[in-house]
Formats: sequence, C-alpha cells, structure tokens
Amino acid sequence: MARMKFLCDADRCIECNACVTACKNEHEVPWGINRRRVVTINDGLPGERSVSMACMHCTDAPCAAVCPVDCFYTTEDAVVLHSKDTCIGCGYCFYACPFGAPQYPKVGNFGTRGKMDKCTYCAGGPEADMTEAEYVKYGSNRLAEGKLPLCAEMCSTKALLAGDGDIIAEIYKERVVTRGYGSGAWGWRTAYGDAITV
Amino acid sequence: MLVKRRSTDASRGGLASFARDVSAKPVDRRSFLRTAGLSVGGLAAFSAIGAGTVRRAEAGNTDFSQPIEVRTNICTHCSVGCTVKAEVQNGVWVGQEPAWDSPINRGTHCAKGASVREVVHGDRRLKYPMKKEGGQWVRISWDQAIDEIGDKMLDIREKSGADSAYLLGSAKMSNEGAYLFRKFAAFWGTNNVDHQARICHSTTVAGVANTWGYGAMTNSYNDIRNSKTIIFMGSNAAEAHPVSLQHILTGKEVNRANVIVIDPRFTRTAAHATDFIRMRPGTDIAIIWGIMWHIFENNWQNQDYIDSRVWGMDQVREEVKNYGPEEVERITGISGDELRRVAETFATKGPSTFIWCMGGTQHTVGTANVRAYCNLLLATGNVGSNGSGANIFRGHCNVQGATDFGLDIGSLPCYYGLSEGGWKHWSRVWDVDYDYFVSRFDEVPAKGGRDARDSKGNMEMAGIPSTRWFDATTLDVEEVDQRDNIKAMIVFGHGGNTVPRMGDSLKGMNALDLLVVADPHPTTFAALHDRTENTYLLPISTQFECEGSRTASNRSVQWGQKIVDPIFESDNDYAVIYRLSEKLGFAEQMFKPYEMVEGKFSVEPTPESILREINRGGWSTGYTGQSPERLKAHMANQDKFDLVTLRAAADVEGVGGDYYGLPWPCWGTPEFKHPGTHILYNPNIAVKDGGGAFRPRFGVDREGETLLAEGSYPVGSEIQDGYPQFTYGVLQTLGWDGDLTADELAVIQRIGGNDPEAMAAVSWSLDLSGGIQRVAIEHGCIPFGNGKARAVAWNLPDPIPVHREPIYSPRPDLVADYPTPVDGRQFRVPNVGHSVQASAIERKLSESFPIVLTSGRLVEYEGGGEETRSNPWLAELQQDMFVEINPADADARGVTDGGWVWVYGPENESKVRVKAMVTERVAAGVAFMPFHFAGWFQGVDQRGNYPEGTDPIVLGESVNAVTSYGYDPVTGMHEGKVTLCQIATA
Amino acid sequence: MKNLAQRLLAVLGLVMALAFVAAPAVQAQQVNPTAQAVSEEQLFQALQDDEMVSGRVSIPDDRASGLIKPGNKSWAGTHNGTVRFLTIASIIGAVGMLALFYMVRGRIRIDGKMSGIRILRFTAVERFAHWLMAGSFVVLALTGINLVLGRILILPWLGEGAFSTMTVWGKLAHNYVGPAFMLGLVLSFLVWVSHNIPDKVDAQWIAQGGGLLKKGVHPPAKKFNAGQKIIFWSTTIGGVALSVTGFMLLFPAIAGAQADWQFYQLVHGLVAAGLSFIIIAHIYIGSIGMEGAFDAMGKGDVDLNWAKEHHSMWVDEVQANQAEKITPAKGAQPAE
Repeated sequence: MARMKFLCDADRCIECNACVTACKNEHEVPWGINRRRVVTINDGLPGERSVSMACMHCTDAPCAAVCPVDCFYTTEDAVVLHSKDTCIGCGYCFYACPFGAPQYPKVGNFGTRGKMDKCTYCAGGPEADMTEAEYVKYGSNRLAEGKLPLCAEMCSTKALLAGDGDIIAEIYKERVVTRGYGSGAWGWRTAYGDAITV
Repeated sequence: MLVKRRSTDASRGGLASFARDVSAKPVDRRSFLRTAGLSVGGLAAFSAIGAGTVRRAEAGNTDFSQPIEVRTNICTHCSVGCTVKAEVQNGVWVGQEPAWDSPINRGTHCAKGASVREVVHGDRRLKYPMKKEGGQWVRISWDQAIDEIGDKMLDIREKSGADSAYLLGSAKMSNEGAYLFRKFAAFWGTNNVDHQARICHSTTVAGVANTWGYGAMTNSYNDIRNSKTIIFMGSNAAEAHPVSLQHILTGKEVNRANVIVIDPRFTRTAAHATDFIRMRPGTDIAIIWGIMWHIFENNWQNQDYIDSRVWGMDQVREEVKNYGPEEVERITGISGDELRRVAETFATKGPSTFIWCMGGTQHTVGTANVRAYCNLLLATGNVGSNGSGANIFRGHCNVQGATDFGLDIGSLPCYYGLSEGGWKHWSRVWDVDYDYFVSRFDEVPAKGGRDARDSKGNMEMAGIPSTRWFDATTLDVEEVDQRDNIKAMIVFGHGGNTVPRMGDSLKGMNALDLLVVADPHPTTFAALHDRTENTYLLPISTQFECEGSRTASNRSVQWGQKIVDPIFESDNDYAVIYRLSEKLGFAEQMFKPYEMVEGKFSVEPTPESILREINRGGWSTGYTGQSPERLKAHMANQDKFDLVTLRAAADVEGVGGDYYGLPWPCWGTPEFKHPGTHILYNPNIAVKDGGGAFRPRFGVDREGETLLAEGSYPVGSEIQDGYPQFTYGVLQTLGWDGDLTADELAVIQRIGGNDPEAMAAVSWSLDLSGGIQRVAIEHGCIPFGNGKARAVAWNLPDPIPVHREPIYSPRPDLVADYPTPVDGRQFRVPNVGHSVQASAIERKLSESFPIVLTSGRLVEYEGGGEETRSNPWLAELQQDMFVEINPADADARGVTDGGWVWVYGPENESKVRVKAMVTERVAAGVAFMPFHFAGWFQGVDQRGNYPEGTDPIVLGESVNAVTSYGYDPVTGMHEGKVTLCQIATA
Repeated sequence: MKNLAQRLLAVLGLVMALAFVAAPAVQAQQVNPTAQAVSEEQLFQALQDDEMVSGRVSIPDDRASGLIKPGNKSWAGTHNGTVRFLTIASIIGAVGMLALFYMVRGRIRIDGKMSGIRILRFTAVERFAHWLMAGSFVVLALTGINLVLGRILILPWLGEGAFSTMTVWGKLAHNYVGPAFMLGLVLSFLVWVSHNIPDKVDAQWIAQGGGLLKKGVHPPAKKFNAGQKIIFWSTTIGGVALSVTGFMLLFPAIAGAQADWQFYQLVHGLVAAGLSFIIIAHIYIGSIGMEGAFDAMGKGDVDLNWAKEHHSMWVDEVQANQAEKITPAKGAQPAE
C-alpha cells in the first residue's frame, strides 16, 4: 500500500494560500479553524521561506499516543484520522503535536474546547466513505474517490506535494538535483523519522 | 473565530475577556451540555452541530448517488486565466476540482481561485435592485430601477448633454459584455467610457503600442519557461499572479535561470530571486538608462537586431550618456557595479525577458517607464523570440479583453481609435448610419479660451479618464472641456477605492445628480458618500453565472461556461445593458445583429452572437478568427496543447496546429483557421504559423531614415525586406489582387464606394471580407506590414524617456534637476502636476512627510477588494488593513508590531488609521500599504453605510484616502506608487 | 637602483592612492535570496531544547505562527512515559506497601479497650472543610487517573463508545469539582494551619516511628502528630500546586503559550501522582488501618482511650480547658 505523506518544497512555496482556501472550500471548514496554514520564516528578509503546514500524518503519531480516549486511528495508507464522536476535547493532542495541527472550535475555558478538528488528508473519518454523515463531521473523502488532497492538487507552484512518500521524495530529490538547492523536506525528520538526502 | 474585529487587548486574553467569556454564557443545562460537546450514543441528542461538525447545514455537499455535472469556466480574479472546474448538482455549485488539462494552470490556483465557489454562494452579494430613499436603502424592482435610471439619464442628457454621463465599465466583464458596453457608449454618444486598465496598464498600452505596434504582452507565462534571464521590475508576481510562478520557477530551476528583482520592497517574488536590488520608488528610468549605459559602454547590445528592426537607437544612446554610474547612483542609490552586473546578465545571458506590472506603470512617468523597458529589450534583441519579450502581467481577469474592446476613452473596439475612419468602420460593422453616431454626440461651446467643437469633433476627441471623473464633476464648468460637468456616474463593475484622492472623489460622489452602481457587490461607490437619493444599486451576476469569452494576459481567449444561474435577483451584463438601451431608445438598432433569447427578466443577446459580430469587425487586432466554435473546441481539448509552445500537434482533430486560446492576432476568418499568435513580432516562424514582425504604424520613413525593417522578415515571406501595411492598392501593386475571391473583392468595392482611390486605400484592418489578410498571409507576409520598432516615440511628450521626480518627492534637490512636466491640459481637464510639485517643495513637505509611501497587492484580495473581502475563506487570512514600516522608522516613532498608527497623507490633511507591520521588507524611509481595503474612512467605520447584509466581512482604511495628485500626461494614469506620508502612533 | 626604487615606490603610492579613490563608496554585495534561503537543517541546529521553529502568519492566531516544535514529542513521551509510570507506581506502590504493612502489622488497635467516653475532636466546620476537600479529591483523582490510565486499563473492556462517554463526564466532573477542592483546601488550611506548625514533639514522634511499627508504643502528640502534619503540608503544597496548574489548564488563554500548558500539565500530573500516593496511605490509616480513627472525621468525636493513645498532649490540653469551665459541684467524679 502507499504510505501517504505531505512534502512542502519551500523553495517553490510563494505563500499564495491556495492550499489554505482549497481546504476551506472542499470541507467547508468554519472560520477560526485552520486545518492548513502557511508559515513564513524570516519574513521580509533575504532567506525568507514559506512552508505550508497541516497535519503531517506522522509515523507513530504523538497525538494518537497521548489521547486519553484513544480516538485516533491510522488507515492502511498511513493517514492518521480520529473519531469526533469519541473525542473529549481535552487538548492533549495539541500539546503533543509538533506541528500544531489539532484545531478546536472554542477557546477552551473550563475545558470546553469542543471536538478536535484537523487535516484528514482528505480521507474523511470513521463514518462510511463519501456519505453525508462523513462530510458533515470531517469533510470530503477524496482518497475514497481515488483522488489526492485538494491542497496539494491546487498548489499554484506545485510546491506542496501529497501522495506516496517514496514518490514525492523522488520528485523532490529530482528538483533539488536539477536546480542545485533545497531548503529541506520540512518536518520529515520530526514526522516520519527520516530526512531526504540528495 | 471572531467575525467582527476586536481590539488587540481583547484578543490577547486577560481577565477581562475571561470574565466576558464566562459571564456571556447562559448557565442553563442545555447550553452546559452543548458546550460540553457531547455527541456519543444516546446523548447525541444534546450534541451541538457547532462543536463537532465542520459544515454549514445548508451548503450543498456532493451526493454521490446522483449525477454530477462538470462545467468549465475561468477564474474571475487575475489575468493569468486559470481554468476553474466546477461540479454542479441540481443547479448548485457543490465542489471545485483541479482543471488538470489547462496548459495555463494545470489544475492549480492561488488562494482566490481555490475559493471562487463561495462567490456564487454569495452571502454578502447584492441580492436585488436597491435605491436610496431619504438616506435609507430600499429594495425596488428591476422595472422600477431601469425606468428611473433611464428617465434620469435622459433628463441629464437633455439639460447637460450626453458627455455628462460617465460610463465606467469593467475589467471583469466578458469580451462580449465589454464590447457591448462600448457599443452602448457609442449609441449614447459619449467617449467618457473607461475601465480599470486606466489605473493599471494604460501607460503600458500607450508606451508599448507607441514603440512597436500593439499594447499587449508579447510572449506568455508559459513561454517564460524558455527564459535564461528574467527581470521583474515593479512586479510582485508571487502575490499578483501566483500561478505564473509555476512556469517561472520551473523554468528557473530547469534553466538555472537568473531571476533579477528590482523593487522598493523585498517582495515574496524577491524571496525567490537570484539577485535582489532595492530601488527608490519612481526612479525606473534612471535605473534602466543606468543599465543601458553599461550595455553601450561594453558593446553588449545586439547591433544586428538594432540595425534591422529598430529605429532611433542612436538617439537613445545619446540620452543614455547622461545617466552614467555616478548620476544614477545619485538619483537611485544603486551602485554602478550592481547595474553593470544586471546589464551584463540581461544582455549576454539570454534569452532575456522583462516583466513589469503596476510598479512601473502607476507613475506620472508611467508611459516613459514602459518605453524605457521596451528600449532595453530592443537594445538587447529580446523581442520576438522564445524566452524573451515584454511579459506584461495584466491585472483583472479580462482587463486585456476590455482594453481590446475599447472600454477606453480614446478608442473604439479593437484599437481603431476615434478617427473618422474608425467610426466609419464600426458603423459598417454595426450596420448603422455613421451620421447617426455623429448626431448622438454633444456640440461643445468655446470655453476658457479654447475653441468650440462640433459633434464630429467631439466624437473624435478622447474622453475624461476614470482617474479624473470627480474633478470633472467638481471643477468649474469652464475648466472642463465638454458641454457640462459630469453629472451622472454609471459604474458597471469598478471599485471606488482604487483611484487616488478619495477625499476629492467623495466630494464628487456627493455632487452627482445620479449614481448607479451595477455590480455583484455594493462597493465603495455605495458606502463612501452621504448621498440620500438618486443612488441606485443593480445586482449584476459574476462571470460564473453566464457564458462568454475572456482574454488572458497572454492574449489567449478562453470560453467560460455558465456554472449556475444568476443568484438571487442578479442578472448578467448583456441583459442589463439591453434593458437600459431599450429604455434609452436605441436597443433596436444596437441589438439587431444578435440572436436574442429569453433571459431571466428580459430578452438578452447570446454571447455567441456578440462574439460573431466581433469576429466580423475586429480585423485590426486579429479578433476575427476566434469564433465561438473554435474557442469551445479549445476548452474541450485543453490537454492537447503543449505546455511550453502552447500549440496542439498538427494532426489533432479540430484544434490541430492551433495555439491555445487562439491568442490574437488570429488573422482572417474562422474558416481560414489561422492558429493564433503565441509570440508577437516573431519573424522566426511563418506568419501562418503565428509569426510576425513589428508594426509600422508610424509612417514609412522619418528624418530620412526608413521605418521599415531592413533585412528582417518572417520565415517564408515572399517579400524579403520591410514593407508597409497591406491595402488593396498594395495587393494591386504586387499583382496579388487576383488572389482575392469575387466575394472578397465585392466587399472591398463596397467599402471603397466603387472609387478606385478609396478602394486602394482599403486596408487589412478595414477590409470586412478578410481577403486582404488572407492573401497577404498566403504569400508569407504579415498584413500590418514589416516595420521597425521605434526607440524614439516622437509623438509623446518625452520622445525619449527622461527621469522625472514624482510629484511628491523625498529629494527636493533632484526635483530641481528632474522636474515633472509643466502644467497642461489633457483629456478635457487641467493637469497641474507641476504646480503641485513646486508647492510641495516650497512648503518643504519632504520634511513633514519624510516617508515615501507606496502601495500594492496582497495575494488574498483582488482590486478594490469588495468581492474578496466578502469571501470568508479569504477574509480570514487578512483581517486588518496595515502599513509596512521599517524597524528604524518604527523605533523612532514608538510604533510596535501590530499596534495602531495614523498614516498622514500630504494633501488635504488626509489620514488613515491602520495597524503597523514592522518589517524589513521595506527600507528605512519607505512604507507600503495594500490597496484592497475599504469601509473605513479617515478613522470612521462606515459599515452601516452598506445595505444590510452586503457589507464585506473585513473592512479597513483605503490607501487611496492618503494618496495624492499626479497624472501621466499620455494616459491620465495616477501616481499610486509613490507619494509622501508621515506615520505616528494612534 | 635608487631611482628605480623611488620610481617603484611612487608607482606603488599612486596605485594605492588610486585604489583608495577609485574604490566605490558603497561596495554593494549581490543579494541572492535563493542562495540565502533558510533551511530546516540550519534552523534545527540552532534550536535550543524546547524552542520552536516559527515565523509569521497572516491569521490572528499567534499559536499558528509556530511551524515545528520537535520538543512536543518529548512532552508526549514524558506524559506517556514518566507521568503514566509514576501514576501507576504511586497507586500500586501505595496499595502494595499498605497491603504489606497490614499483613505484617495488622490493624492498629486501641491497646486499652474503648472507654466509652467520647471527646470532641473535629467540629462541624473542620469536618465540612475536610470532606469537601477529600470528597473532591477522590473525584478528581479518579477522573484524573482515568485520563492518564483509563485508555490502557478501562477502555479495552468498556469499549470505545461507553468509555468516551464516561471520560467526557469524568472530564467535566474534574473541571467543575476542581474549584470545590480549592475551596476545601483553603478552608482546611485556615482552620488547621496553626495546629500544624512542626515542633520538637514531632521530632520525638518520628524517632519512635509514630508507634506504627510496634504494638504498645504511643509517643505523645498534640492535635496533629508528625505524620498528620506531613499529610497536612503535602496536601497544602500539593493541593496548591494542583490548584494553580489546574486553574491554568482551565483557562488556556490566560495560561500563556503551548509550552506553558505542557509545563502545567506535567506538574499537575506528577504532583497528582505523588499526592495520590500520600492520600491513599492517609485513607488507609483513617479507615481500616486504625481502629477508632474514622470517628474523628466521621462523627466528630472520638473514644477517649483512642485519643489518649494517639494524641495524649492534645487530650491534656482539651481536658485542661474543659476543667476550667466545669464547676466543682457539677457532675459526678469518677472514683479513681
């Protein structure tokens, strides 16, 4: 089976935010929930690089490890999903996530964060695939349709890559060799335990 | 999670907000459980949708058990022209999918394109016609609206004249809509018709057309994949044309290309450059001449190219001598070494392309800037080949098309100008008596010491640019060169916050007798002013809600399918223009060529039939081959077009050999099947394959030298040298007139009125049969002639560009040496820029306003921002208007990052209250503000001025409330890119 | 030779002078943003322990500007590892030790028999404060431990749906009972602090093992013996720590950034584990571990013999006070 990953080629990312609004569009994500965001390092200075960040669907996901109710599960494609029905909104997954992926609908006073929401790799959730019930809670399930996450498909410069980890690593390596520079596969070491060496 | 803005204090938490949060919640059991977010098992009944679900219940999601229709349209934001693939179910747009097949965007978008579905969901769109009654917005019917507006317009026409109604059209209109609007203006009888190109690339079109023939991008975004050196000057493509970066960055990687960014700011584009040079706003010409100085000094120019294809470069060389490294450094602050490096790279490491955008055009010297860029390209031989060219990135989705179809105070559709010949051409095409149009125009009496002019004189005189409409409303009538002041503004799709001097614009809005806004959103034209009546809002649908073609920046014409019906009570441009013209009494004549069908509220013309009329008349620009059938075939076969050449293989059925979108000029009739022209002025391929040459528009010789090309001609040309434009007479001279068919000859005869001399004068652009074009091309020749580009444009105020300081300059010493042109009168109104500049020097404004203010784009918003700031997915990403200020300037003023500041403009005590972004993106002494915001004015929140439910989510101050006087004498372009300001904590 | 040298020097001087003059005032270096691009490797190397690679975002949520914080995984490791382990260890350790103690020492009986005479040990206010705090603590401990251990101990046999429901209610209980605990803690502190100041009596009590280890050993003690003072101060300090960290966890907006939350959460969990250990022992000794002890909090008065054995100095104080109040003629004096 494919082991799905995200790779943001920061040397191509121009912070256009297409990935952000594509996700909002596809899943009707409400105001205040940022499943995906673009972070710019060294903003305004030579050396500036932008990285599009959402859930990385880590190997041995720390969110899954700390969840008190074990609401996470990993699919065959290595996509890390969770059940909003089981979620108690405690916030531990946010503490554990190195990437800030978990989002909550409310501020969280008296623990009222509400159900955690995060990038699903466009793979929905525990409900039956491509049903309204699944859509209402988790958004659309593109993987079940044989498609890839919309954020990567709509990335203006093809900076954000999604798909089988080996394939996108290969694409990235090729690019780095062709152009002679690469700022790294951001988050890969932290999420998957490996970095791409060229 | 906050829709309304709160102050920074609140957003940082603190006990106050804690108390507010806790006390705000009712403590009953239901809400207690709701906030608990329970939704398990039997307790699911208590679960709140809000806590767990992501989707609004009423939005349509895709029902996979039902069929899904896929429709194709083009994004309505910028000019890159990304294809939008829409999934539609039961008349509802349920999802967007990547449009992989389009060679332009290959499935991708930017933030705006990826969120266009929201535009037709349209929470905050104008839902029905409205008018102001006693200061309140009241809903009315379409019938009432058209009736009252029409009556008022006729009344104004009666009392003041046709010229008193200003018809401001849109770069968002389809080609058919823009063309119809221009036709409407002709029937109404005024040349006061304009659109966003005025404030965007009007100086480009003037500068470029005056150099080598047409005013458009010479190559394409895709072709930049061939470039080895790319200069971005005054272009932040990463934010303004994000998808273009797909081609540019890939090209950069594969070619190891040099990407040189010259800009006052370290933009997001600069972040991907290989060379960044910071410049002072308004010093483009000095920089370009500084580069040219090194080129000539080191003999890096392409002399062969210059000798065969350029006229007047020697004169430019002379002028450039005045811009040696020291003087250039004095003016610009850039060292000679840096410019030398750029010069060497650009000239010797080609093919090289030059990209510019608003940074170059929005100046009092905008036209001159453009001419300088052109000269740099010409000197290095970088026009008319792969990977080279003037890659002008245009603004809105159809600003190219709207420009082409004459929403321009100085031209009829397809650049025929306003001469008698042009009017007669269109009279023929429209099958309306030429004299009828003459009768529709006002006679203008003598005033202010200026001569009177009759109707014919008036119809041949350019109108008032959109940057000056309010001056024409408020200035004394003696100062305005038409019968009366502007009394009515009919605004079809144009923002009110994108033109400088908003304080004066506000006065203008208040002074009008009639204000009509026809737009999907109310815009600043609805909210800024204090009008209490004679103000109308008409809900117009977007291009997603109707069919039509639009022309992207690279001149490709793309057909958009209707995705959903116009929402609420909105209607498309075609129908509304029809209804207005019907009320005004000329619909029958105006619409007789079209196929009329039943629309939503009235009959309306089909866009296909309008395009066919365009095909019958657009000879001068080559808009004749792009029939609706061919365009639709292109959209259906997008995947057949090569990514770099944009050409389909010859054997492909239907579109074989075509360039994607049949970029104009697409010569001859549709049956002729010219493939379109990917790269303009390219003699390396045959004309029938899209080749060309520079256009000899300016005569055949000058000062004893020929203006025709010498030794350069398109491949396969039977005339192996330069030649003037083709006329019937030229065909006769060449003995090719026998190639014309009998029908074609008959048409020429009819145009020539059977007079041999008149017939001989019928040119390739006036010949309605297309025969002259066909014959010329079959002999390998380009119909408009084979000429030299002009390095010197003798008809312009500065025939050779010279540096001139901006009106509000931080360098009084340089103003003395390089002042703006003397006061004059252009486009019916005075231009007192010189007086303003002198006054600024006298009052030492550079000391009290020590920071240079420039403006520009953000990727999340488009144009005036009313539409994009109404889209929650975009609005969330930029919630506050801001000013970028350098840390040194911030420290000196006690300004902190995220803190509130006042920015003071140099005129009329203008000021705006915005958030400060302290960043090194801008240099010390320079500040930047985006121009997309509106809804606050000088510190006052105007949200209540919008009709209920139509106020955009995000409001903010407009930068143009503090920008200032300054107009390019050639086009009336404003000086939005450089003025002075002062900043202080608020 | 001299001429040549002079000439050479002159030329050298000239060249240097020219170089000085000709050198441009501003020798601008080429700014190549592509070459200067930051890399993840470079930023990670510069990262200190608990820092985050962060930048700027355009959305107002400050937290979103953090890009990668590898250190969060170590929080997850500490939570799952150390905190979990210590929680289990403290419970099993406490129960195990107490079981062992019971097996060896058995129930601590009143050596003399019950006298039948009662003496008031804790007033209604004291008992209320104690039970408010104790009852809250039990609820908090159980629901809190569920958050740490529930997944491995309870979920497997309860099933996901029911376990989640239970844990949601448990979390709510934990969040809302917390303030009750805090109130009980404050009250308890106020009524008892003056009795819990350590003194020499405590040293002696400790030296004799509190009488816990051998039968018949009853070192003197005042109202509270050293063991109880240890309980008091552990509960106070631990309780305050739990209250403060708990408060912060209840109001993340006030608490600061993610790193602060992680810190509070770890402290909360570790202190809870430690305090649970102590409280289990306290519950043991106050219930099955010692005959007659429960009455103190259960009824408020205790058997006089019990009191004399365990808090002899306190009994003396109380009786002295009472004697001052009793008139000689009233009541029968028991014959000695």
